[in-house]
Amino acid sequence: MEIGIKMSGKKPQAEELRIGVFICDCGSNIAGHLDCASVTEYASTLPGVVYAKENLYTCSEAGIGEIQKGIKEQNLNRVVVASCSPRTHQPLFQNSCAAAQLNPYLFEMVNIRDQCSWVHMQEREDATQKAKDLVRMGVSKAAFLEPQRDIEASLIPRVLVIGGGVAGLSAAQSLADMGLDVILVEKDAEAGGLLRRINRLAPHGEKAADRVLEMMESIKARPNATLYLGSRVEDVSGYIGNFEITIRPDGGDAIHEKVGCIVVATGAVPLKPEGLYGYDGTRVVTQMELEERFLSGSMDAQRVVMIQCVGARCPEREYCSRICCRTAVKNARLIKEQNPEAHVHILYRDMQMYGTENEQMLWDARGEGIRFDVFSPDRPPVVREDRVEFYRPLTGEMMEIPCDLVVLSTPLVPREGSQALSQLLRVPVDQNGFFLEAHAKLRPLDFATDGIFVCGSARYPANVEEAVSQGLGASSRIATILFKDKLITSAIVAEIDPESCVGCMGCMEMCPYEAITYLPEKNICEVNTVLCKGCGCCAATCPSQSARLKGFKPEQLLAQIRAV
Amino acid sequence: MVNKDILVIGGGIAGIQASLDLAEMGIHVYLVESLPSIGGKMAQLDKTFPTNDCAI
Amino acid sequence: MLDVGRHPNIDLMAYSEVEEVAGDCGDFRVTVRRKARYVEEDRCTGCGACKEKCPTVLPDLFNEGLGTRKAIYSWFAQGIPSTHTIDPAHCRQLNGKKCGICQKVCQADAVNFDQKDRVVELDVGAIVVATGYKVFDPSQIPEYQYRQIPNVITAIEFERLLSASGPTSGHLHRPSDLLAEAEIEALEKDVKKSEKTLDRFEQKYDQASAAFYDAYQKGEYAGDEDREKWAEKYAAHLALVEPLEAMKKEAEGFGVAKRLAFIQCVGSRDFRFYPFCSGFCCMHSIKEAIIANEHERETTSVIFGMDIRAVGKGFEEYKVRGGNQSGIRYIRGRVAEITEGPHHNPVVTYEDTRERKVVSRDFDLVILATACAPSEGVDRLAGILGIELNRFGFFKTGTSRPLDTTRPGIFACGCAHGPMDIPESVAQASGAAARAAQIVAAANLRKAS
Repeated sequence: MEIGIKMSGKKPQAEELRIGVFICDCGSNIAGHLDCASVTEYASTLPGVVYAKENLYTCSEAGIGEIQKGIKEQNLNRVVVASCSPRTHQPLFQNSCAAAQLNPYLFEMVNIRDQCSWVHMQEREDATQKAKDLVRMGVSKAAFLEPQRDIEASLIPRVLVIGGGVAGLSAAQSLADMGLDVILVEKDAEAGGLLRRINRLAPHGEKAADRVLEMMESIKARPNATLYLGSRVEDVSGYIGNFEITIRPDGGDAIHEKVGCIVVATGAVPLKPEGLYGYDGTRVVTQMELEERFLSGSMDAQRVVMIQCVGARCPEREYCSRICCRTAVKNARLIKEQNPEAHVHILYRDMQMYGTENEQMLWDARGEGIRFDVFSPDRPPVVREDRVEFYRPLTGEMMEIPCDLVVLSTPLVPREGSQALSQLLRVPVDQNGFFLEAHAKLRPLDFATDGIFVCGSARYPANVEEAVSQGLGASSRIATILFKDKLITSAIVAEIDPESCVGCMGCMEMCPYEAITYLPEKNICEVNTVLCKGCGCCAATCPSQSARLKGFKPEQLLAQIRAV
Repeated sequence: MVNKDILVIGGGIAGIQASLDLAEMGIHVYLVESLPSIGGKMAQLDKTFPTNDCAI
Repeated sequence: MLDVGRHPNIDLMAYSEVEEVAGDCGDFRVTVRRKARYVEEDRCTGCGACKEKCPTVLPDLFNEGLGTRKAIYSWFAQGIPSTHTIDPAHCRQLNGKKCGICQKVCQADAVNFDQKDRVVELDVGAIVVATGYKVFDPSQIPEYQYRQIPNVITAIEFERLLSASGPTSGHLHRPSDLLAEAEIEALEKDVKKSEKTLDRFEQKYDQASAAFYDAYQKGEYAGDEDREKWAEKYAAHLALVEPLEAMKKEAEGFGVAKRLAFIQCVGSRDFRFYPFCSGFCCMHSIKEAIIANEHERETTSVIFGMDIRAVGKGFEEYKVRGGNQSGIRYIRGRVAEITEGPHHNPVVTYEDTRERKVVSRDFDLVILATACAPSEGVDRLAGILGIELNRFGFFKTGTSRPLDTTRPGIFACGCAHGPMDIPESVAQASGAAARAAQIVAAANLRKAS
């Protein structure tokens, strides 16, 4: 049952308000600390209220039944439930209203538990009065509620994966196996990313080249995966479900495609430690350069010193790149395997051999005669022509290690192009330049921007196993979207009145979801209702009140406030 | 013959995430947990690093 | 958690165990035992009236035994499902003694002592194993005296003490102080009883006990049996009151624990128990130290470790900030021994390897960062599922398919796979979901709306 309500800022005139209020006892959670019967009685006296009922548990089957019965028998056109937090049961109550033919957005919830009974447990009288006040506020707002319709958008079941390294290949393969079309774009002439430069993988010594081959065959075997090598993503527009992308092959014509979701798997690169520890690329090299020497067979040093945390965990770059310790240990063991007489000495601050396999590698390495010594960051080792000098805090002595090769373990750093990509996709990067996920703990692969995901070292340095897992994870996140027929999002979104908007773009700066765009031809801002999450920041900012949040419009909120 | 449902054993954070992803994909999930309620070790944490968000 | 309980596509079976798995990838037949709660899950509303009346008090395992619960209980207040459960091992009614109070007060008529275990059969195409880990029991390390010294606790116990919803509402009371206060409470009860007894005598003879006792000791009332009893009771009373006063005086000085010591690698990187690194405990200790400092600004913490592994995104910065702003000091050394000093203060003996000194120092509270061990029953579950364990005792997975176990159609994620922190568990969980979804993709119509 829909009601035509004038959005004029005045109380609705079209039809008589018939508000139903349901006060919840919540067992003893609420009723134990305030007088629910009294609140219910009070509610029945409020303007517009035609029905008030107290329930033991509104969220129970019986309680839901009462709401639906009330809607039908009393012809309610607004429902207010005074109970717990909306986070617990608002969707349940809204769906119950919908099932009884009342628009679910004509439902208002008042929290008299978390915000009343639970925090005023020893103050029964005051708590009762406060509950009455809160109910009165809720009823006043309810009078101004308008019916809304959920927003629907189409979904294109195709995914763009940017980056053909381990993470990207893993994501692409998994997506293809789930029946989605995949477009993988890789800027190099060959896929595989950093893995192409690596000799062997920890912990089992597998050849990296074999792994790359395996993954490439996998992708080629999947007809619904299309690989663009030697290509870049030139342009991206649109939003979740409906992105329009332009792919530019090197020296070729642009290719236009439409995709529903995007995966960022652009990886990272090892830092070249110019100016640190006498780095020269010949006698003082990086771990990656050591890998290349292994591959070309030119690794013949007899006495090797490795130095950890070069250019990391320092003021310029505070983070720990987490995979360099295991890389050093892996390579140290390979040196010994190739030449058991070789001397390998690793100078470190903390050996970051987290987990099961890494720790085992560390132990095995020590058993193989690889030496480990801790150094203090305030007295770092000094690299000389034929030796490395360092202060050993554990014995208080200055030590000298003769060597013919020094290997510096440097961190992975974000690629040069990541800034540009972040702007193209309108996704954030953190203070270290890595792509910033929606939530550090619970949404490590999502961006706050809907429909775009990240995996692998583009997010943060990851080893092969982690990159593969994260690629799989990103594919699952995408499936939760693209497996649906259509995208349905809440009706509680912002809208900007084109008549009064002056195009100041204050709202755009505030929007955390990149949901507002500026239309230069009209000099106004416009909300993308699919991306909008209804946070209200724009509405709070807009100096002309042109941006308004549905369900939380000024007249609705003011009614609530005035009712106090 | 391939059954269409999936079993997730364990109702901690990993089990919960796996179940929700699968459910959102439209797949029916049985989530089996041995304790009286889900939440696992994470429910026993006060806050989590590095954001110091509450754990629930 | 709430989303799981409400999602139409998720059938949540808590308080249940997998007993048998037959069949193969794509067509598994799983037998699940749904244990009897003796409470009807769909009737119980979680109101808690039952546990208020239940007479049986037990240690609360969710709070690591630091608090109590009743024989009818909810695992924790915000648990999903929100139903209560009756512990069949301790419930009076279920063990032949008359009670049933919970049933009487339950307004939802949810208590059912006749409930039985239910065994259900499920047909599934794929299985995801996410059984987590078990906390190492440090009583296996005798030199740390975990059970002997009350102020030596595990990280998870410390977590419960720090929690606003925990047994001390977030106040870092030392376990020795909590024990003393419990003793004082018990003694006060005894004193009250004793006073009642003495009162009867005082009324009868219209004389104060103290005055009577004085006279009695001087030899008056010799041979009077009744008065002898009175004297006995009075002597017993004094024997209670004197120590009680002393304890109460000491208790006046009780505050919160401010000088904390965290010992890393308890059970981890240790050949006697688990040779591997548990991955998250360094960060866990740092976090606990930072939060303890937030609760009480004077709190200082020393973290004893070999390597302090802060390897995740944002972790190194967090660790450095902790050192700069939250009173944390990092000492490189494994703790050799913990003994108990005066005032129940644990004394930690260690070698500070950077300073090359052996030191003994006392703290208010010592927290053991216990290992992340393969969960209880992992052997049995591996047997039921027909999958292998790796050499560390976790479920074995493939090299190029890191979430696949040794049996097609069965996947592992999170700590069941190996020690890892929350973001990694979450990422792996999504990954395992993808793998499982691929198995059943053909059978599902992929119409999820």
